[in-house]
Amino acid sequence: MLDSERIRADFPILSCQVHGRPLIFLDSAASSQKPLPVLEAMESAYRACYANVHRGVYHLSEEATQRYESARDRVASFIHAASREEIVFTRNTTESINLVAYSWGRAHIGPGDRILLTEMEHHSNIVPWQLLAQEKGAELVYLPVSDDGLLQMERLDDLLDERVRLVACTMMSNVLGTITPAAEIVQRARAVGAVTLLDGAQGVPHMPVDVQALGCDFLAFSGHKMCGPSGIGVLYGRRELLEAMPPFLGGGDMIRRVDLYRSTWNDLPYKFEAGTPAIVEGIGLGAAVDYLTAVGMENIAAHEREMAAYAMERLAALPGLHIPGPPADRRGATIAFTFRGIHPHDVAHLLDQEGIAVRAGHHCAQPLHKRLGLVATTRASFYLYNTTAEADRLAEALERVGQTLGRTQ
Amino acid sequence: MSQDLYRAHLLDHYGNPRNYGRLEAPDIVADADNPSCGDQVRIELALDDEGRVAQVAFEGEGCLVSMASASIFTEHIKGKTLAELEALSEEDALALLDAPVGSSRRRCALLPLHVLREGLKAYRSRAA
Repeated sequence: MLDSERIRADFPILSCQVHGRPLIFLDSAASSQKPLPVLEAMESAYRACYANVHRGVYHLSEEATQRYESARDRVASFIHAASREEIVFTRNTTESINLVAYSWGRAHIGPGDRILLTEMEHHSNIVPWQLLAQEKGAELVYLPVSDDGLLQMERLDDLLDERVRLVACTMMSNVLGTITPAAEIVQRARAVGAVTLLDGAQGVPHMPVDVQALGCDFLAFSGHKMCGPSGIGVLYGRRELLEAMPPFLGGGDMIRRVDLYRSTWNDLPYKFEAGTPAIVEGIGLGAAVDYLTAVGMENIAAHEREMAAYAMERLAALPGLHIPGPPADRRGATIAFTFRGIHPHDVAHLLDQEGIAVRAGHHCAQPLHKRLGLVATTRASFYLYNTTAEADRLAEALERVGQTLGRTQ
Repeated sequence: MSQDLYRAHLLDHYGNPRNYGRLEAPDIVADADNPSCGDQVRIELALDDEGRVAQVAFEGEGCLVSMASASIFTEHIKGKTLAELEALSEEDALALLDAPVGSSRRRCALLPLHVLREGLKAYRSRAA
């Protein structure tokens, strides 16, 4: 496992007290904490070189532009993109997916076309496609999820016919932690000529990602779930597709020339980046990528595999605790559970009283909860800075929650 | 364990909810849920000749805060007129709980009031 003491020393917030107890932060699947190099890069940008990017003919603007654009280079190499022009900065995963739905989708999806999703998607990889399908008279089809929280891959061939124009799939369930066979799905989708989009919000922060090896056309992810700031996200797109797509938002920076009645578009990736971007957030994301690279994505993935196995064993030993989803060897360290019929809001509230931050609800995945017959779950999600000792404290605190609220139901 | 919100009287109402169940002949039925957490409450009222709440019952599924709130709330509204029910504010409903409801649990605590308001609105529009 990772040297947790060394890692934890990089995250100032982890030494906070909450309700008089040391913070145990188990909600990184919603948003992760930030290490010192990210905080320092952002503070330094504001203190030493803040100015608007791309247009200034003066030192500060050149320095800000250089730092911001170098973040793009680092993101490109982090996910092994073929070129920096394929990295579009957005606000977050949601905006990245919407960009594809609006720009690519409105140009390429028509009546009777099909969009193939899976039953374990986050709402942000469902709703943009619903809007597109309703507008265009297209149809959504879903790869089903099995009772044990895995994609039913044996159904894929039936669903993948020539009507499917797009396949959009998560790399990892934000509820069950299920790691999907993304490379295989992409390969089979491309074999029938479908365009592919991977929702990497839970993938890119937690495992090594190589878009060229995956072969996907689009990959969407967020900075704030990978130790970077909120307000900056990424859309990777294959150059050929991005070049053929119309712009998304119109405005400054995305144009080459503007006349009163028509305009021409800037080169990639700026064609998709209208207006002043999240400059300092972009610089922060670059620092986050450097940080994760220095720790090593393989090491992070291995740490999370061990965390998942340990925490699942510890939690499953509690009477009345149920963990939906696959076994530890097929998931990341995101663990949703139900506990003795106690409402997740009560579980989360009582855990908070002990300094333990978990999430309660449907985690923006109502269709998945419905599929598994769940109304809501409590979710503990672990990241590179979490320890087995924290999983122990979670289990001990849950025992006390059971004593307080467990009732015969 | 510090449990400011999880006070004995709330635990009591949660474990032994008052007025739980359904009425035989309700005049007003209201059913609603809080989609953010899946909490669901159904409140039924039967009125007497003077238009006061003669009987009240609730059913539901949810967290301690919403269920205890529904139990306490139904105790409170017995004997009240429709005008008195309509005058109940969110602050009134929160005060009934006598527990520190933070911003994150406010919606849970107010679910019974919001369900009642829906029911009253539907009843008034039917009567009109």
